[in-house]
Amino acid sequence: MTAEETIEQEVAENTIIVYGKGTKEQPLCGFTYETIEFFNKYGYPFTVVNALADPEKREALTKMTNWPTLPKVFIKGKFYGDTDILGPMEESGELKTLLDEAFGKKTLSL
Amino acid sequence: MIDQTALVALIRTALPDAEVEATDLTGTMDHYDIKIRSRAFAGKSLLDQHRLIYGVLEPARQDGRIHAIQLKTEILN
Repeated sequence: MTAEETIEQEVAENTIIVYGKGTKEQPLCGFTYETIEFFNKYGYPFTVVNALADPEKREALTKMTNWPTLPKVFIKGKFYGDTDILGPMEESGELKTLLDEAFGKKTLSL
Repeated sequence: MIDQTALVALIRTALPDAEVEATDLTGTMDHYDIKIRSRAFAGKSLLDQHRLIYGVLEPARQDGRIHAIQLKTEILN
């Protein structure tokens, strides 16, 4: 499998996936740590992949997203950048709706 | 490292109208919080607004003058 194919498969298999520096247990960068804390709040499962461990994958990710920095976040197969993007989406309420829908939580208001 | 004046000047090479607020987060002039308001963001998604700025800052990232940035962009009306 090419790096691109591996990424496509990981993105398809994980509703929330964070490509960062280090792991969930041991983040190696402040921004990766911040992103983990950010998603911990929501209580939905998410996966962290250490992009530093695989330079080829890191390069492929940059090309696929046209986004130079780590971490890189995908939700339900779509790229959402990092917490600089997700923060404003959180403030507007857009993120909660997106996550609730992604994980099949349905609220009916009458 | 890059000082705030040079950083603002770099951003304005691409976005001459930009209102820029750059905060040195670590005192080492290579970790910045940058807030940018510009008309050039109009019609662009937040992702594309950030891509635009990353493009402008890429040379400074490549040569190590900038290590990390957190970014906030806003459309100037």
